[in-house]
Amino acid sequence: MKLLTTHITRYWYSDPVSLCHTEVYLMPRARKIQTVLDHELTIVPAPETMYPREDYFGNPVTFFSIYERHRELIITSRGLVELAPAPPPNLDLSPPWEEVREEAARRTSPDSFDASQFLYESPHIKIGGALAEYAAKSFAPGRHFLDGVNDLSSRIYKDFKYDPRATTVTTPVNEVLVSKRGVCQDFAHLMIACLRSLKLPARYVSGYVRTGHKFVGGDASHAWVSAWCPMFGWQDFDPTNNVMPQDGHVTLAWGRDYSDVSPVKGVALGGGEQVISVSVDVSAQGLDSAV
Amino acid sequence: MKSTGTSPPSQADPSQLDAAWSYEAYPGFHDEVLGAGKVRPHWMALTEALTSMGHAGLAKRWQQGQRMIHDNGITYNVYGDPLTTARPWPLDPIPLVMEQTEWKNIEAAIIQRAMLFNAVLKDLYGPQELLRENRLPPELVFPNPAFLRPCWGIEPAGGTYLHMYSADLARSPDGQWWVLSDRTQTPSGAGYALENRLVTTRVLPDVFQSAHVRRLANFFQAYRDALQRLVPAQRENPRIVLLTPGPYNETYFEHAFLARYLGYTLVEGGDLTVRDCRVFLKTLGGLLPVDVIVRRQDEQFCDPLELRGDSMLGVPGLVQAVRMGNVSIANALGSGLAESPAYAAFLPGLCKHLLDEDLKLPTVATWWCGQEEPLKYVLDHLDTLVLKPTFPGARIEPIFGARLSGEEKKAVLDKVRAHPDRYVAQEQVALSTVPVWEDSRIGPRHLVLRVYAVPSENSYVVMPGGLTRISNSLDNMVVSMQSGGGSKDTWVLGDAPAPPFTLLRPATHPLEVSRATFDLPSRVADNLFWLGRYTDRMESLVRLTRAILARFQEGDAARTAGLNAGLEILAELGHLPERETPVTPEREVLAMIYDPAAANGIVSGIHRVRRVAWLLRDRISVDAWLILNQLDQQFSLAAPAEAFRVSAAQDRLNQVIITLSAFSGIVMESMTRGDGWRFLDIGRRLERATQMTDMLRHGLQTESPALGVLEAILEIADSSITYRSRYLTSLQTDLVLDLLLADEANPRSVAFQLARLKEHVDQLPNSQISIRRPQEARQALALLTAVQLADVRELGRTEDAAAAAARDALLDRLAADLSTLSETISRAYFTHAAQSRQLAAP
Repeated sequence: MKLLTTHITRYWYSDPVSLCHTEVYLMPRARKIQTVLDHELTIVPAPETMYPREDYFGNPVTFFSIYERHRELIITSRGLVELAPAPPPNLDLSPPWEEVREEAARRTSPDSFDASQFLYESPHIKIGGALAEYAAKSFAPGRHFLDGVNDLSSRIYKDFKYDPRATTVTTPVNEVLVSKRGVCQDFAHLMIACLRSLKLPARYVSGYVRTGHKFVGGDASHAWVSAWCPMFGWQDFDPTNNVMPQDGHVTLAWGRDYSDVSPVKGVALGGGEQVISVSVDVSAQGLDSAV
Repeated sequence: MKSTGTSPPSQADPSQLDAAWSYEAYPGFHDEVLGAGKVRPHWMALTEALTSMGHAGLAKRWQQGQRMIHDNGITYNVYGDPLTTARPWPLDPIPLVMEQTEWKNIEAAIIQRAMLFNAVLKDLYGPQELLRENRLPPELVFPNPAFLRPCWGIEPAGGTYLHMYSADLARSPDGQWWVLSDRTQTPSGAGYALENRLVTTRVLPDVFQSAHVRRLANFFQAYRDALQRLVPAQRENPRIVLLTPGPYNETYFEHAFLARYLGYTLVEGGDLTVRDCRVFLKTLGGLLPVDVIVRRQDEQFCDPLELRGDSMLGVPGLVQAVRMGNVSIANALGSGLAESPAYAAFLPGLCKHLLDEDLKLPTVATWWCGQEEPLKYVLDHLDTLVLKPTFPGARIEPIFGARLSGEEKKAVLDKVRAHPDRYVAQEQVALSTVPVWEDSRIGPRHLVLRVYAVPSENSYVVMPGGLTRISNSLDNMVVSMQSGGGSKDTWVLGDAPAPPFTLLRPATHPLEVSRATFDLPSRVADNLFWLGRYTDRMESLVRLTRAILARFQEGDAARTAGLNAGLEILAELGHLPERETPVTPEREVLAMIYDPAAANGIVSGIHRVRRVAWLLRDRISVDAWLILNQLDQQFSLAAPAEAFRVSAAQDRLNQVIITLSAFSGIVMESMTRGDGWRFLDIGRRLERATQMTDMLRHGLQTESPALGVLEAILEIADSSITYRSRYLTSLQTDLVLDLLLADEANPRSVAFQLARLKEHVDQLPNSQISIRRPQEARQALALLTAVQLADVRELGRTEDAAAAAARDALLDRLAADLSTLSETISRAYFTHAAQSRQLAAP
């Protein structure tokens, strides 16, 4: 399955911006199930400096600066990826969740050491208290870990209402837990906070979901959760759509939470009021589109 | 009895400090001076001197020290209120004396620790072997807000993270030194240590000489060399700046002092900008590249793009510039990671592993509650421990177990059990004591010694001395400047007299002769401009007020007319409050002079001068600062008794005029004629022209101004003598107008100010680079021309409504145009203040 992604971010300013430094996480990240065939980043006005690099978590990130006075900034990112999803794992073959917790705490392998970085609080993730209580219902003693994670994802899907007006990027997870409303980013943060409250490693995945009636969140950037399990590695769960991503999710980057991998982050000198618009389109390409 | 340093020692036994001073050690603690009731040998030189000078001698010498602290404006800030925050630096005249052999051990231990922390940081921001091998729990790194992931993988020049390391040391009752805490991020106090030395050597010059105290200047030279080595590639004329969070920071005085002492430009985040992944200083002359940033700002606030975005204090794009190797930062971004008190529990193992040595100086016993055994110990022994947050910056104050009530203790234990990894417990050291001079006697106080190290080629160099801080009482084991503690100079004794050496005249690195003054940050130009305006506004107001006061006492008609005109001007300029029920003018004017709360009064004006001068602390010479301090002091005295208020006010105002003249004199005589001076003078000229115009506008409103009014106006304008020597006639409106408005030879006239303004504006960078006259130059020229073309004989005609109207129109236009010129200059040169902001999250 080949997917073509088009992500356009536009900023309009009431006053001219004379200088702007920006960091974008817009290039798809290569992983076992995803091959990046092509990617193109177009920025208007054209930046004077532009440097791609790899961040701490191995994500591709691009830094650019614009010194030309501008009232409008358009960032267009086009990517072509090939997805080769593995068959969904048998959740009941995963170890009891308590074993996952112990393995992550022991960090005896390089894998578990890396996973242990995703056990703690981070700028958008608080742990403990009501979050631990909510999570505990999915993790009865001895329950298979991935089955429990899947159950948690389903519960969030059922208990919470998708409502773009309910939250902002800074709404804390504890408030989302009470209001039971939010968007993909809130549900991902909430689920991560639940897992980490039980000392289970979980990370935040930023990306896109295929546009169409099937998925929620197809017209904007999307976010979901990856949980770590010994032998099974990192397994993705999308609580907004109640699925384990297969051939409809394009991965851009992952980190502890949104703050590590925000698609566009910038500081501008001047600008006054700003208006932003984002559009995302993900469509199948070529013969595979029959799917 | 009077005794001085040269008089024969008194009969008292020098090994018994108590003979003359009745100093007694505090039982249960190690006393630095007395051991078994006797003065320790290395203190002998100092105690002998103290004994021979006696209380009165020390008191007299100390007066000089305190004056130096005041005159040099040595202060530190207490967070909270911007105006009264700057407190005089609390220094005690009696230094802490350290013996040679003991110091050598401390020195070796501090070098070892600096190397150790450097190696730890190098690993954590690289391969993280220490975490993978569990030599340091990852829980102390991964959740730590001070672990700056954007800085991971950036190797600083020479692999050096710490360009200054410091440690707080304390001595327990058995005489052993312990490390209380390590400072790896932006260690403060080295500059205060140097100031303490400057003051103390002034107070005790003879003892300082004879005791062979080791000098500090070599240490600062080593610091400068270390920073010089950071210059990327071999760049000619590298630019090193010291980055401060600003004047409201606790140790801003120190930032300004160190910048001046080391010869670096003091900058705030807003003075810097990143272009092409290089850092530049924004100056009047344009952007100048910066090679090294000495950082006194917390690292998390250094780049709102990649680090914390909730504050715009920093420099957007800075991390990328560092990543590209285009600028070095000292201490390196990320070095605050090593500041967690929890690391202490693992240092012995880390030291053995990384340096293959035993730790030379122990840290006070430390338990990190994130591990089972230590947690159990802490829960059982909270009474004897101090509980601290694992990650500095967490809003948890240290908790002293011994001070908790039963219920409080239970609550604390619950918190620790809930999140054990967030807490660290340390044993409380019974801090040693040292004599402190207080209220003409000396008594013991607890001390903590902060020591410093900077990198040399392959190792570190330790400052032979340090900042000794003392507690505010014997019951208090917390030593902190914020909570009212004091400080001391620290004398490390050497074998032979130290050769005199000072950085102020560097011998090894002759400075390039340079006349360029274009590196003036725009922010500084802005502040200088307002300093010029405010000082001159004060002078005008004081002259006006003085003329009014003099007229309260006499009663002839002319004086009364002058008085009324003066009051009229004062009211028009907004210096007298509008009241429902008017009180007598005399009371109003006196309130304006004495009342610190009077909105547009003299006291608030002086505060304003001082506040803007404070923002320029690193730019103003010590002498000029001294003058401004005197000004502030003259008005901090309470108002005298009712009956003497008028005459006392006159004295005060006379003093202010003299003081302000001294300030102008210093500025004219000793400030380099660069852009800085130019902006100060532009401010003064603009203000003086504005004040004079306003006085003429409001004073000459009637068709035929009375003689008494003209007389008052001449007096306020300090031009009576000029008038009398020039015109042997009685006062005439047209002649007064000519002298104060159009006469370019009178340094008080509007025309004189405008002529100077035009000269200045023509010298500014914009006028230099463009063939076309920039807007501010055209406005200045138009103003000068308007005054030159004015027909004063016509305008000064009395009993003529048309002339009076023309007079009013001209003066009104001048006032408006002056205000426009001020705005144009601000827009052209000070707009650096444009706000940076985050792009909205998509």
